[in-house]
Amino acid sequence: MGVIDPRTAAPIGPGPEQDAILKAVGDEITNRGFVIASADKLFNWARSGSLWPMTFGLACCAVEMMHSAASRYDMDRYGMLFRPSPRQSDVMIVAGTLTNKMAPALRRVYDQMPEPRWVLSMGSCANGGGYYHYSYAVVRGCDRIVPVDVYVPGCPPTAEALIYGLLQLQKKIRRTATIARG
Amino acid sequence: MAEMQIKPITMNFGPQHPAAHGVLRLVLEMDGEVIERADPHVGLLHRGTEKLIEHKTYLQALPYFDRLDYVSPMNQEHAWALAIERAVGIEVPRRAQYIRVLYCEIGRILNHLLNLTTFAIDVGAMTPLLWGFEEREQLMGFYERACGARLHAAYFRPGGVHQDLPDGLLDEIGDWANEFPAFINDLETLLTDNRIFKQRTVDIGVITEEAALDLGITGPCLRGSGVAWDLRKAQPYDAYAEMEFDVPVGKTGDCYARYLVRVEEMRQSLRIIRQCIDNMPDGPVLAENNKVTPPKRGDMKHSMEALIHHFKLYTEGFHVPEGESYTAVEAPKGEFGVYLVADGSNKPYRCKIRAPGFYFMAAVDYLSRGHMLADSVAIIGSLDIVFGEIDR
Amino acid sequence: MTDNVTPDNQTAAQEVSAQTTMIEHLRKLLDADLQDAAVVQDQIVLRIPASSIQQVLAALRDDKYAAFNQLSDLTAVDYPERPERFELVYQLLSMRNNMRLRLLAAVGEGQAVPSATTVYSAANWAEREVWDMFGIFFAGHPDLRRLLTDYGFEGHPLRKDFPLTGHVEVRYDDTLRRVVNEPVSLVQEFRDFDFLSPWEGMQAQIPGDEKAGKEG
Repeated sequence: MGVIDPRTAAPIGPGPEQDAILKAVGDEITNRGFVIASADKLFNWARSGSLWPMTFGLACCAVEMMHSAASRYDMDRYGMLFRPSPRQSDVMIVAGTLTNKMAPALRRVYDQMPEPRWVLSMGSCANGGGYYHYSYAVVRGCDRIVPVDVYVPGCPPTAEALIYGLLQLQKKIRRTATIARG
Repeated sequence: MAEMQIKPITMNFGPQHPAAHGVLRLVLEMDGEVIERADPHVGLLHRGTEKLIEHKTYLQALPYFDRLDYVSPMNQEHAWALAIERAVGIEVPRRAQYIRVLYCEIGRILNHLLNLTTFAIDVGAMTPLLWGFEEREQLMGFYERACGARLHAAYFRPGGVHQDLPDGLLDEIGDWANEFPAFINDLETLLTDNRIFKQRTVDIGVITEEAALDLGITGPCLRGSGVAWDLRKAQPYDAYAEMEFDVPVGKTGDCYARYLVRVEEMRQSLRIIRQCIDNMPDGPVLAENNKVTPPKRGDMKHSMEALIHHFKLYTEGFHVPEGESYTAVEAPKGEFGVYLVADGSNKPYRCKIRAPGFYFMAAVDYLSRGHMLADSVAIIGSLDIVFGEIDR
Repeated sequence: MTDNVTPDNQTAAQEVSAQTTMIEHLRKLLDADLQDAAVVQDQIVLRIPASSIQQVLAALRDDKYAAFNQLSDLTAVDYPERPERFELVYQLLSMRNNMRLRLLAAVGEGQAVPSATTVYSAANWAEREVWDMFGIFFAGHPDLRRLLTDYGFEGHPLRKDFPLTGHVEVRYDDTLRRVVNEPVSLVQEFRDFDFLSPWEGMQAQIPGDEKAGKEG
C-alpha cells in the first residue's frame, strides 16, 4: 500500500512525487485541521491495507502459506497478519485440497467471518480438484462451497505467487465501490 | 455444602485450529481440565490416494507420494521408487543412489525444521519458526535447483533420479552444511534449556518402550522411547550402507526426548550430507533400461527407437511383473512403507501406503489421557503429525 | 538393539538361510494353523485361515525366537473374481531378527474376522480403516466406526466395484444454506485408456471379411 495516483489509480512509489503528495496532505491537516477524501476510497484504503488472512491450511499449500508469512517473504510488510480465528479475519486462504468431509466445516468457518470478507483459493486442488479431481472424496473446486475472489494456480503455488495473489486481491478491493449510490 | 454432581464435558477441538497441524478434529471428554478420553476424527483430508493410484500408471502415481507427507516429499517418493525397482529388478546407478540419499537427508532436515519450530510455536515460542523457515527456504532452493519445484519434486524415479544435479549445486549445499550447525546451536539456545519449553514438554506424553512397539510407533518417536531402531541402519537401502552416522536414542520417551532426538538427527543428517558431497561418484543418474526409464532428450533427436520408447513410456508406461512386495524406508517421521500388489499390467493392482503418522494419531488417545488440555497441544506437536499422509 | 543387528555385509545366502530357518521354526510353532509358507522377494509370506488370526499373531509375538514385536501394517486387497474375495494382509516386523513377515488370510464377503486389537494395539485404527475401505467386519473390535471417509458415507471405496469418482459430490446450496450431497456429474469423464490390447488392431471382424478368409 502506498499513495495512489487519483487519475490513473496506479500506486506511486517512494520518491519526490510521493513526498509532494504526502506533504500536501500534511500541510492541509496543519493548516485546516482536516482533510477531505472520498469515503469510498478511504474505506477501500483501510480494507486493503490491513487484510488479515485466517490460518486455514488444509494440505500441501499450507506449507507455502507458512513460508509466505515467515521470515523471507514476510507478509507483515503488507499489513497482513495471520489470525487464528475467523471472527477476526477478512480473507480466507483456502490452501489445499478440500474434501467432502471438510466442506461443511469450511463453509461454517466462512459463515463466521464478518463482512466484508474475501476468499482466495490457493493451488490447483482448491481451484478445481487438480490432481485429485476424479477422487470420490474431493470437492472439485472450493468455489462449489464458498464464493472465490482470487484463484492462485500452481501445485503448490510458490510463496511469491500467493503474495501476488493477495496483491491482486488488494487491487480488486480498491476497485470496489463500497457505498451504493441510489 | 450440598453434594454436587460433576458431569464430564465433551469438547470439540478443530478442525480449524492453529495447533491442530492441519485438519484434525479431536473430540475430548474432559473432567474439568483433565482429558479422560480423546477421540481423534481423521479423514478430513482423505483424498482417496490409494484408489487414484490404482487408476494411474506407475509413473503417473509417483507424484501422489510427494503430496502425502508434504513436509518431506522426496522421502516418500523414495519408497515408491524402491518398490518398483524391487518388483522390476533394476539396478540404480551409484551416483543416483548418492543423490537420493543426499536429498532424503535434506528432506529429513526440512521435516525436522518444520516440526520443531511449529512445535515450539504450539508451546509458546515464536522465534524458532522465524529462524527455521529461513533455513527451510534455502533447502527448498536446493530442491528447486535439482528438480524445478520447491515442494513437489517428482525427482526420484524408478531407476534413479530424473536429471543430474546442476553444476555448482553440491558446493552450495556444502557451504550451507558448514553454516547449519551454528543454526542448530542457536535453535538449541532458544529451546533446550528454556524453562517454559521444558515445563511444557518434560514428562508430558510419555510412551514406554513396550507401548511404543505395541502401538506401531516408529521413527524418532520410537527412538525417543529408547529403542535404537532405524531402518537406515537395520535394513539399509540405496547408499545408506556406506554412510557413517549414529542413531540418537532418547531415554524418557516424553515430548522433550522426542525433541532432543530430532535435534540430534539433524546433526547426523548433516554428517550424511557431508559424506554424500565428499564421495559423490560420477556416472549416470538413471538406469540404462529403456523399458522402464526414459531415453535421453538428445537421443530422441537422432534415434527412432528412443522416440518410440519415450512415447510408449509416457503413454502406456511400463509393465511391472506380477507379485507383491512390502518396501519400507525410514522417512523423517518413521517407517514409511508401500505394499505394492502388481498384476503384470501398467497400473498397480493395489497400493497400500503405510504412513507413520497414522499410528501416531491412533496413539493420541493413549498419550493424552490424564493430561491437561494444554498438554494435548504439546503431544500433537511432538508426535509430528501431517495429515496428508495420515488421511491419504 | 542395533548392536545385535548386522546392517549390511550379510550376504544374500545368509539371509535366505535365516529365513528358511525361521520358516521351519514357524511350521513347528504354528502347526495346523499354517496353510502355506514361502519366501517371496526376501520376505516370509505365510498363509493362514482367517479364523485363527488372533492366536497366530499372539504366537508370533510371544515366541521368544520369532519375536515379531511390531505390527507394521494391516490392510486388505480385493479380488472380486475369487470365491473368497478379500485377502487380509498383516505386515509384521521382528526387530530381534531384523526380519519382516507377511500374513495372508482369505476372507469372504460378510465374513467376520477376529480382531487383532487384543494382540497389537496398532491394529485398532488399521482395522477401522479396513472396515471403512473394504467393509470387512472385525469381531471383537472395541470401536469399529468408519475412519477416513465422510460422515454418512455409503459404500466401501477400495473395493474394485466402487467407482473412482464415487456416487455423491457436495455443493453449498444457497437456498437451503447448507452443504448438500448430490449425485456425481462430471464435465469430463476420467480418461481411462485400455493399454493391454492397443497394438493388436481391430478384434471384431469387418463384414465381408469372412469371404477373404475362405479364398486365402
